[in-house]
Amino acid sequence: MINRRHFLTTVAIGTASAAALAACGNGGSSSGQTGSAEKPVTINYTWWGNDDRAERTRKAIALFESKNPDIKVNGNFTDFAGYWQKRATEAAGGGLPDVMQWDLSYLRDYGQRNQLLDLGTVKIDTSAFEKSLLPSGQIKGKTYGIPTSTNAFAVYYDPAKLASLGIAEPTGKWTWSEFQSFLKEVGDKGNGTLFGSTDFTGVWWQFNIWLRQKNIQAFTSAGKLGFSKDDLKTWWNLNSKLRGTQALVPEDRVTQLKPKSPFGSNVSAAEVTWDNFMAGYLADSGAKQLKLVPVPSDDPNNLGLFLKPSMLMVASAKTKFKDAAARFIDFMVNDPEVGQIFKTSRGVPASKTQRDGTTFDGADKLVVDYEKSIEQYLKDAPEPPIVGFGTLEASFGRIASDLNYGKLTVDGAVDAWFKEAEDLIKQNA
Amino acid sequence: MTTTATPVQPAPGATAPAHNPKSESTTAKRAKSTIFHAAALLLTCVVLYPALWMIASAFKPNSEIGGQNTSLWSSNFSFDNFATAMDGIGGVSTLQFFTNSLILAIGAVVGTILSASVSAYAFARIKFPGRSVFFGMMIATLLLPFHVVIIPQYIIFQQLGLVDTYVPLLIGKFLAGDAFFVFLMVQFMRNLPAELDEAARIDGAGHVRIFTSIMLPLMKPALISTSIFSFIWSWNDFLGPLLYLNTPDKYPLPLALRLFVDQTQSSDYGAMIAMSVLALLPVLIFFLIFQRYIVEGVSTQGLKG
Repeated sequence: MINRRHFLTTVAIGTASAAALAACGNGGSSSGQTGSAEKPVTINYTWWGNDDRAERTRKAIALFESKNPDIKVNGNFTDFAGYWQKRATEAAGGGLPDVMQWDLSYLRDYGQRNQLLDLGTVKIDTSAFEKSLLPSGQIKGKTYGIPTSTNAFAVYYDPAKLASLGIAEPTGKWTWSEFQSFLKEVGDKGNGTLFGSTDFTGVWWQFNIWLRQKNIQAFTSAGKLGFSKDDLKTWWNLNSKLRGTQALVPEDRVTQLKPKSPFGSNVSAAEVTWDNFMAGYLADSGAKQLKLVPVPSDDPNNLGLFLKPSMLMVASAKTKFKDAAARFIDFMVNDPEVGQIFKTSRGVPASKTQRDGTTFDGADKLVVDYEKSIEQYLKDAPEPPIVGFGTLEASFGRIASDLNYGKLTVDGAVDAWFKEAEDLIKQNA
Repeated sequence: MTTTATPVQPAPGATAPAHNPKSESTTAKRAKSTIFHAAALLLTCVVLYPALWMIASAFKPNSEIGGQNTSLWSSNFSFDNFATAMDGIGGVSTLQFFTNSLILAIGAVVGTILSASVSAYAFARIKFPGRSVFFGMMIATLLLPFHVVIIPQYIIFQQLGLVDTYVPLLIGKFLAGDAFFVFLMVQFMRNLPAELDEAARIDGAGHVRIFTSIMLPLMKPALISTSIFSFIWSWNDFLGPLLYLNTPDKYPLPLALRLFVDQTQSSDYGAMIAMSVLALLPVLIFFLIFQRYIVEGVSTQGLKG
């Protein structure tokens, strides 16, 4: 999807918006306008997503309007990639919608440029939220985003495939080497038709969790890298014996299967990723059942796990209807009936009030139960990632893929990634 | 293999091949032509394969598209994807998306034809002070990357309160904003003999008369190629509508297409591909109707009888 033109567009928009933003500055009014049932105010709400989400959101908006006759909500939506091009242009033109669905990786970028409303200044009830979750919407003490829902990192596996190979299902209490021997066993018995998983060391978030298990922060609060080259070397060397064996899906195979994943294409028996991929994996693979277990750790008391907001609700700093925006956000994140409308299609509801008011069944229940089962291991979510994090995450995967192709040695790969990361951090400093 | 290796013995009484140059050159020609056609056919297959893949995939269930599945045709042939595609998105019917795309495309064609031909006439036939400077400036806008003007343009239209209308998408077409088409028509007009206008002028025709009665009919090939291109460009435009339209019921097809693929949830590739096939049809029909005029335009070089 990302071609040269797309890239240029993003760069152009980014540069231009930065220039335009510098001219904008702070000039928000202190009091928001309010409406009445006879003369309602209209707020704009925008989100990304497919047909299904549009339908659910429409229901939620109708419910909100019936409960709040003094506010009308005008809903718009686009696809994910276009969403951010549009927001960048609007931010430069000063026309961001009043309330927006937001992604964690863009929060710091827009928050630091004073494009988003400090939600600490308006009335939104966050008492039903997991305390460890809220920092992920905050930057330097200001709350820019309220999580609608959460996801957690997990190891997926397909019980039917393991049974067909005669391999016992994992319990989720395992060390890294136990996890690796599990992958090796699948690869050996699968004999070229079924592999263990993709190279998990190429997944940024898995690396991040591994760092957390060693009590290292991936990024310092000053926005610098919190780990050393040696840490990354150790991480990528972890799989050096498995690369090229049937424990890992060969890299050319991974590329051939795109845009689907090897796990979704029934080529591997396990995969490490976020638990909200469940519905997608079930649809892609056609498997009857998929299960989730916690990630491996050499320290059984520290799994490094945390809840990450799968999406957030934010408001524009320039909105004229702060009060109405706050009431709408509060409704969308806390109302139990909204939970019943969305189920887990946004992720597991973050607010306990909303979660308890929602009935989960089938695959939804598996994901909710998984997040409940890891509750005791959860630690504070990291602060929103640094500006340009998306690029770093992508290059992490790309360089790891070169590593698997054998184009780079571990040392070379580490140097290549650090160079990109340091350049990027310098640029955005 | 052995037969080709053994030298051919000339049959007794038969003339040597060299004595019959005519028949030999015919076979050689035929062989050449066969090879040429085979190669051309092969290339066509390579070029058309993605289109074939798209059409074939439109009839497959979503789970059989991409991934491990390499076969072109599926045994689970069905029209389900088309049904899903026609259902629309988020309460907006697919017909609405088609209508919006058509309004935009036809508006673009009409606007471009009207404005570009008039501007081209001015540049090619009227001598006015600073003509070459203005012409140079117009050509220079071709060199200006579109992305540089996105933000300023957006700010202008936003301040004018024209965001979420079709005005920002069409106004440029009515103001000869596409320098490429103006340039194309200027070049075309310069090739038309000046004697034609001179004769008209002697008969007492003014610029309006010369333009409508002499130039426009002669420019038909240029007008047709312009229509085809501006129709296709507008039909395929994604970024413009994305930035300027907010309400889903004003979206054209390219925006709607993207809504079937959602990275954060499950993607319905089947419906997206089915919709792509449907979206392709109008452009294809438009092209088929008008393509013979392009060929005609090239062969007559814009001059008739």
